[in-house]
Amino acid sequence: MKIVKANDGVLTNFEVLNFLRSRGAGKDLTRVIAPIAPSEFKVYDYLEQTAACSQTRESIISFVGKSKQYKLAEAEILNLINIRPSSVVEIDPIVEECDKRMGEGVEELVEMVLQVLPTPPSQMQSDDQVEFNKDDVREGQEVEAS
Amino acid sequence: MFYLSKIEHTLRLPPHLLNLPINQAIKGELEGLFLDKVIADLGLCISIYDIHSIDGGFITPGDGASTYTVMFRMIMFRPFVGEVIAAKLKESDREGLKLSLGFFDDIHVPEHLLPMPKQFEPESGNSNQGRWIWEFNGDNYPIDAVDEIRFRVHHVTYPSLPVEQEKASKPFAPMIVIGSLDADGLGPISWWV
Repeated sequence: MKIVKANDGVLTNFEVLNFLRSRGAGKDLTRVIAPIAPSEFKVYDYLEQTAACSQTRESIISFVGKSKQYKLAEAEILNLINIRPSSVVEIDPIVEECDKRMGEGVEELVEMVLQVLPTPPSQMQSDDQVEFNKDDVREGQEVEAS
Repeated sequence: MFYLSKIEHTLRLPPHLLNLPINQAIKGELEGLFLDKVIADLGLCISIYDIHSIDGGFITPGDGASTYTVMFRMIMFRPFVGEVIAAKLKESDREGLKLSLGFFDDIHVPEHLLPMPKQFEPESGNSNQGRWIWEFNGDNYPIDAVDEIRFRVHHVTYPSLPVEQEKASKPFAPMIVIGSLDADGLGPISWWV
């Protein structure tokens, strides 16, 4: 075995997930028919729980374009796409020397991330649950009134 | 987290696969050979991405199988230093934490890379297992297995194969990721959200 090129390109989590989906990972519930190995299914399960499961190619391309103005390193842009931080404190471990380089720009960056990259389902679920509880409370009060 | 690596390999295709279309047969052989295995300094092989070229097909005398030289690309899992990854807690003992990604289990966070000031609370009955607690502003934040833990990759080591192994020792880990929780925004997500 000969290693011709150790690093032929970086892949975001979304690209790996898309690759597995294109081979039929998501559609097969039995996990026997699709031509995917069990170890690849474990990768698929992990990626479905991260922010990558709701991203699209267009959103990533537009995110890379808009992040050019912040002069971030390629590794930092990759981290941002994979993690999708939703607050300033989550950006801190990703962007080095965040205060010195960006100062006020951090909040703009968070806004941009929230707008361009779609919400992962785990964050959407917690919002849905809050609304569901409010509906319950209202129904309970109506029943008591009548 | 994931890279593409281009590899050239000389492959022997056993005769019972000769009825399959050649691409399919070679892909199956490569998958059996490389998937879920670690290549030193390249990482864990996840998938065959595509096949660039298949050369050869000669049958050497005395052998029923044909030999091919295949050039292909593979998706490798190789976290880079400084990457932030979300993982689940697997074990927690006096030496630190062990995290797992589902497809990759050997992620260690040694106790000197946990956020200071910290305390270890041993479980009743087993003094080695327990949970770690971070003390910040007078509050205690425990590291529990409730939600995901974000860590930053400190470095990745590829220990070489041991010559002999005792039966009782842990299975050999060919790739170990050392992580740190020592910055704002790292640790269980519930601490920051």
